[in-house]
Amino acid sequence: MHSLNLNILPEHLKSEEGGLLIASLQEPKGWSGIPLLNYTPLHDLKDMSIVRFRGMIQDMLDPEMYLERYEIVKEDNTCRVQDGKFRDCLLLNEGERVNHDAKENVHGERRTFFVISIPGLNNWCQEYESQCSRSNFPKPVETENTAGKKRSAPMEEDDMHVEIDTTARPAADGDNNKRQRTGEKLNNTIDSDAVNHTSNSVIGMEYHLNSPIPSRPSKACMVKIYNDFEKYKLNTIIDVVGFLSVNPALDATTMDVDAFDNLNEIQAQNPPPSLIPRLHAIAVHCLPHPNPLLDERLLSNSQTCIDSHGFNMLSVGNEFRTFLKLCLFNDNLAAEYLLSHLISTVYCRAESRCLGRFLLNIFNLPQNRISNYTKQFYELLDLIIPASHYIAMTAETMNESTFGPKKDYETNKLVSGMLQLAPQTHLVIDETFTKSDRLNSNGILSMQILGHVMTHQELKCNFQYYEIDYEVDIPILCFSEKKSILPYDAFVPIEYDDQSVEVIEESLKAARHYLNPIRLNQFRRFLTMAKLTEFNVNPAESEMIQNDFVEMRKNKSIRDAEELHHLLVLTRLLAVARGKNVLEKDAWELAKQMESTRQQRFTNREGSN
Amino acid sequence: MPKRDYVQDKESVKTFLSEFCKDDDNGKKHFVYANQLVKLAHREQILLTIDLDHVSEFNEELAEAIISNSRRYASIFGDAIAELLPTFKEREVSAKDALDVYIEHRLLMESRTRNPMEQHDQRNNFPPELMKRFEVAFKPHSNEKAKSIREIKAEHIGKLVTVRGIVTRCTEVKPMMVVATYTCDRCGAETYQPVNSLTFIPVQDCPSDDCRINKAGGRLYLQTRGSKFVKFQEIKIQEHSDQVPVGHIPRTMTIMCRGEVTRMAQPGDHVLISGVFLPLIRSGFRQIIQGLLSETFLHAYRIVCINKNDEASDQEAELTAEELQELAQDDFYERLATSLAPEIYGHLDVKKALLLLLVGGVDKRPDGMRIRGNINICLMGDPGVAKSQLLSYISRLAIRSQYTTGRGSSGVGLTAAVMKDPLTGEMMLEGGALVLADQGVCCIDEFDKMAEHDRTAIHEVMEQQTISIAKAGIMTTLNARVSILAAANPAFGRYNPRRTVEQNIQLPAALLSRFDLLWLMQDKPDRDNDLRLAKHITYVHSHNKQPPTRIKALDMNLMRRYINLCKRKNPTIPDELTEYIVGAYVELRREARNQKDMTFTSARNLLGILRLSTALARLRLSDKVEKDDVAEALRLLEMSKDSLNQLHEHQKGHVPNTSDKIFAVVRELAGSSNTVKIADVIDRCTTKGFKPDQVDKCIEDYEELNVWQVNMARTKITFM
Repeated sequence: MHSLNLNILPEHLKSEEGGLLIASLQEPKGWSGIPLLNYTPLHDLKDMSIVRFRGMIQDMLDPEMYLERYEIVKEDNTCRVQDGKFRDCLLLNEGERVNHDAKENVHGERRTFFVISIPGLNNWCQEYESQCSRSNFPKPVETENTAGKKRSAPMEEDDMHVEIDTTARPAADGDNNKRQRTGEKLNNTIDSDAVNHTSNSVIGMEYHLNSPIPSRPSKACMVKIYNDFEKYKLNTIIDVVGFLSVNPALDATTMDVDAFDNLNEIQAQNPPPSLIPRLHAIAVHCLPHPNPLLDERLLSNSQTCIDSHGFNMLSVGNEFRTFLKLCLFNDNLAAEYLLSHLISTVYCRAESRCLGRFLLNIFNLPQNRISNYTKQFYELLDLIIPASHYIAMTAETMNESTFGPKKDYETNKLVSGMLQLAPQTHLVIDETFTKSDRLNSNGILSMQILGHVMTHQELKCNFQYYEIDYEVDIPILCFSEKKSILPYDAFVPIEYDDQSVEVIEESLKAARHYLNPIRLNQFRRFLTMAKLTEFNVNPAESEMIQNDFVEMRKNKSIRDAEELHHLLVLTRLLAVARGKNVLEKDAWELAKQMESTRQQRFTNREGSN
Repeated sequence: MPKRDYVQDKESVKTFLSEFCKDDDNGKKHFVYANQLVKLAHREQILLTIDLDHVSEFNEELAEAIISNSRRYASIFGDAIAELLPTFKEREVSAKDALDVYIEHRLLMESRTRNPMEQHDQRNNFPPELMKRFEVAFKPHSNEKAKSIREIKAEHIGKLVTVRGIVTRCTEVKPMMVVATYTCDRCGAETYQPVNSLTFIPVQDCPSDDCRINKAGGRLYLQTRGSKFVKFQEIKIQEHSDQVPVGHIPRTMTIMCRGEVTRMAQPGDHVLISGVFLPLIRSGFRQIIQGLLSETFLHAYRIVCINKNDEASDQEAELTAEELQELAQDDFYERLATSLAPEIYGHLDVKKALLLLLVGGVDKRPDGMRIRGNINICLMGDPGVAKSQLLSYISRLAIRSQYTTGRGSSGVGLTAAVMKDPLTGEMMLEGGALVLADQGVCCIDEFDKMAEHDRTAIHEVMEQQTISIAKAGIMTTLNARVSILAAANPAFGRYNPRRTVEQNIQLPAALLSRFDLLWLMQDKPDRDNDLRLAKHITYVHSHNKQPPTRIKALDMNLMRRYINLCKRKNPTIPDELTEYIVGAYVELRREARNQKDMTFTSARNLLGILRLSTALARLRLSDKVEKDDVAEALRLLEMSKDSLNQLHEHQKGHVPNTSDKIFAVVRELAGSSNTVKIADVIDRCTTKGFKPDQVDKCIEDYEELNVWQVNMARTKITFM
């Protein structure tokens, strides 16, 4: 495997060696030997070397027509034919020129995707992936990703002409970053006195990178694909192997522009390759989930792969529930609901509704006694969920940050928003410090976009003249003191006694201690495997449920179809958490019982008030 | 394809231009292009649009050649016209602008100084581009379908295509040089350089004989006065949202407009653009970097704004024969109704009413008075009966719609607000939800939660269909021709059948009576229905797809277009039906007096019946209202009243079956006489919401009981 020659040029792809490479990419294992662009500094990679990039399709550009094959006329008027596939520039020697009218010329079409590294990918995933990449990369790289470091931003280590001014970066929990095209201009010009090519740049670096979560900048790459154009959708995660193209000539800031062109657009469409490298794809793989532990295309040498056959869903699920219970004031019901929420995923869309969504609001937290609880709890979840983001829901956040993507027609770019997230990226909303503050128009818009994501799991993209909905799969968890006003699927008032509140600090510490590396890995695998479980309902069970529903309607314990959907989803999640893949009566009864206990808590609360 | 003989084509173009004619209404021959050529010659017209339909009529092959190689043929047409023009000149034309004067001067000077025997340098000749003062454009075949940007591929290069999209950006109109004219600083000779691309490299050295032979090294200076410029504008269009496949980003395309085609569209306009799809030739530095890529653009010949020109958009929306076939099945009324919010079970009558609301009745304007055709509906009911879902579905389906909630909208938000313009500082009106939904549907959820003073704003809209404003010195009346679809929750959590509607909803009668139909949607456990629902849901969960239903729900887009088609009909009510309607109305009034009705019956109901029946006729795409339409309208009205009253009967414990009810009706109809005509019975019963087969069954039942006798022809009932 390691004998594979990666020093191959696009023109040689059709040769025997190239054929071997392509054949090896058919095998998932063949992928692991290729350095990941996400974690390798650009100066360690050569132009036109074979690299790999993992990320989410953030934007799709207009198709490009290029010369797949063209004739070159030399100085002495002799001709030769050159391939243009997988390249950005013409291959011309001194004195040569292209014969644009030659019969030999073949035009081809390719598409460019703007791919960004998975937004909100948590530290442990990044560490794992970079470790995998490093173990394959011959040269030892001892720069980045020490455990204590928060949010490794790979660009910082790169040989970047433009450095991120750390003071210009917003606080990690702020997110209130206004997206401005020229926002970084000042910094750029200060930093770049040594390099002249940024001096006529009109676009800031952050605008180029287009990270959905500005406080956690992602790495971007422009991937050019040559086939299966219609297969890819916005916001899917792809893993690409291809030729790296970082020719500095691709940078629009160095180009002279004539009066008929729009400077903004040209610069936005041709960002400096040192910041956003180009990748000409030879193989593309769509990832159904962001968890690197379950990806056979990523193999770590240091870690022996745990066999999925020996993996006991039931026992790991139980352990996980105990862990959650410890963190949730010993509230068993809340732990069960939270577990169900964490393994929920939209598995089907039918009749303009999405099934499998299970948004959870845990409220009634004793916030005045433990102020830091939600944050600490999120830090624990952060260790287990592959990709997640924490939003402190304040009027300020709502008013000042961009939630939905918006098309900027000046630059022809889809400017990202905080909710443009890859499938199965969890969102944790902390409403515990919502103060009554007025929302401005942007805040109301943010609420509407968030509300739409919640009810339909569709993200509205603003194209100014119309809106287009894109399917997303974002499980949302909310902590609050009072019942949230947003449309969650389940509202669970947490119950606690004084003692458990007092010891919650210790409980969380104990919980963190409990998460030794083996357990962590088990939990991480458990979550994703549960989401991927195929689930069936047998006709007998479905009849049982139908009859039960009629009964429940009679004695008014269920109201409408919506509740039946909800119960069925919960039943499924409960069964999956117990390692089952068919619906059984136990799970149905448990779900019913849990729902009624939950309702009971509501009536109790009303009574006590 | 064999190579075409362009010289020959040019000749046929000439014949086409001078000879093509159409018969006009008086039977006289109308030379379409020759007439325009005369105008061109006199500089009264600049743009000559060649209709390809005409060319096809003249020569099919030529039309095809034009489509596949438009650019070449545009210049062939140009040359042909230039050659023809002098023959069409009827009188001397006065010079119009500087360039005309300039050309005139040069021509004069040339004729004076030039020795006809002298060999003249080719470059110093006037290029034809400088002399042409007209433009040629092609209009595609009228049956040509507009493509989406996505469908334009490399194979369309050089061809005439029509695309549909929305304008996202326009540059300013700039002058673009077509012919650069230079003067030499030594010999004074003039040099011309035609420019074909976006950029050009100016000529430096004088190529004239004097300078070349004498090696004088004359420098050339650009002369703006003698150069020819055209208007130039670059437009960006983007696909419309319905052309974008799920999960993809809309594509954009660059359009280059020259001359008369500029300033035709503005950002936000929906446009149809016909033009030639061409690769963009870049020169200079950009070419070296991006030589591998070829940018493309559309050289526009014709831009049509769809929102300004309704005809074009209607053509787009025309239903195909296939689709009409699908719609024209027997049960189309029910099918359309069930296709509304298919995820909501049952409530067929409510859905039928909503369908009629979407279609709308016919507006009437007898003697300046305005009677609205829009239908207003109010849905009431216990929480959780999918009222809001119905509302949001309707607002999605309707072409123009606004969705608001009563609590969230103030009277100002509904009608119009006076704002200060940030630029000019003047007061201006900003339309509210009702104004924005003009000629559409305004869905108001939680109607009952609306503050009293906000609700008054709706009174005027619901009957007069206008909004009068007197605010901050602005006094005006705005159109608000909307149908209002409201949803309200009962005041006491659940609907209390012992109280009247006003008490239950806590809305004044003045407002409630403005609704054509009031529905009470109730959630009652019903074994069959519940089981069906449960089956449906469990199927979805276990098979991850929708169960195959008996009636396939129609596509939203198809529904939209069908409704649009219906709206164009203006059915009338024939005189012979008036009596029937009046009779039914009088009956309604009488009944309302006699029974302890919880609803009310007023003259507004009569108008409501008319509206509903015209809407039904529209739905059938008919120009005349039929008796069945009226009967169905009466039935819906009856059902809506029933939905409010039925609880009573429930509580009385005695539920008369349908036959009993029909018997009571017949008894009443008979009065003191002993015989009744069956036709009358059926008429009366249908107005009360009974179906003819129910009536038949009743007649049979009671015949068996020997309560009455039916004659042999089954036309008359005689009581025993």
